[in-house]
Amino acid sequence: MATESGIAMRGGFKAVSPILLGVIPFGLIFGASAAASDVDQLAAWASSFVIFAGASQLAIVEVMGSGGAAVTALFTAIIINSRHLMYSADMGRYTTRESLGRRAGIGYLLTDQAYLVSSTRFPKPDTSKGVIPYYFGAALTLWTTWQIVTTAGFFLGSVIPDSWSLEFAIPLTFLALLIIAVRTKPALVAAIAGGIVAVGAIDLPYGIGLMAGAVAGIAAGMISERWLA
Amino acid sequence: MTMWMVVILAGIATFAMRFVFIALFKRIAVPPVLERGLRYVAPAVLAAITVPALVAPGHVWDPLNPFLPAALIGGVAAWRTKSIGAAIAVGLPALWIINWIA
Repeated sequence: MATESGIAMRGGFKAVSPILLGVIPFGLIFGASAAASDVDQLAAWASSFVIFAGASQLAIVEVMGSGGAAVTALFTAIIINSRHLMYSADMGRYTTRESLGRRAGIGYLLTDQAYLVSSTRFPKPDTSKGVIPYYFGAALTLWTTWQIVTTAGFFLGSVIPDSWSLEFAIPLTFLALLIIAVRTKPALVAAIAGGIVAVGAIDLPYGIGLMAGAVAGIAAGMISERWLA
Repeated sequence: MTMWMVVILAGIATFAMRFVFIALFKRIAVPPVLERGLRYVAPAVLAAITVPALVAPGHVWDPLNPFLPAALIGGVAAWRTKSIGAAIAVGLPALWIINWIA
């Protein structure tokens, strides 16, 4: 490995390290609730590497564990994960020179945290040389952590006391990334519109409000460019 | 058996959604309109995740919950430092203190 990409990879690893504080309790909670539910245990455990998307894995266990229909569980998971289409489109701009195998790996590992942390690195496609190793450093750290902690949660339960509120590190992570991402006035408009629409949609099933907020935010950002950019 | 079916089909669908544009943009150029829109994916998605989590934790409207002031304190730390670690290092103890007082 060229040292340049080695340094970028370590940069990605370092950038996600604090995020793990929120990912670890979430993974433990998933493992613990899967172990406590009625669903096929091996399949629930395998979802950590077959699906590798925590919120949807938890939703599947909840729907199937409470006797819901398989179609409902599948549909819910797809809605929750549809946000990855947007990440894929943005990542796709930086992956055109990668081999098929590496692009498949980039796709498989694409998570909120890996994408959003890397996106702080790529405002300009031409100067984003180190983005892919940086992404792999972040994404592989998240993958490995997720496999370990969901398995640990399975066997040990959620271990960390609720009173520590460590899951609060997840919204704090996304809040910090939001503050870093709002670098222009249209980006601020996109964030305000996205937040308002998502709050207005809290009564809709999980995942739909997120997508509605995202689409509204993107549209608002694009429209506001005309006056603000 | 059905649990396996759901996990495998959700895995295939999730991979497809993650990979589709990474595959496509190797062959076709990114349309300019889409390129403009992609700039706002991160702020829009992040706000759509964060704001409901803070004002409506557990999908219930509750603007007086302890997470909100703690997040504001963590948010100031993130704004001053541009660092995720600082937001957590400040925001999490803020939540503990707020919970301890309240």
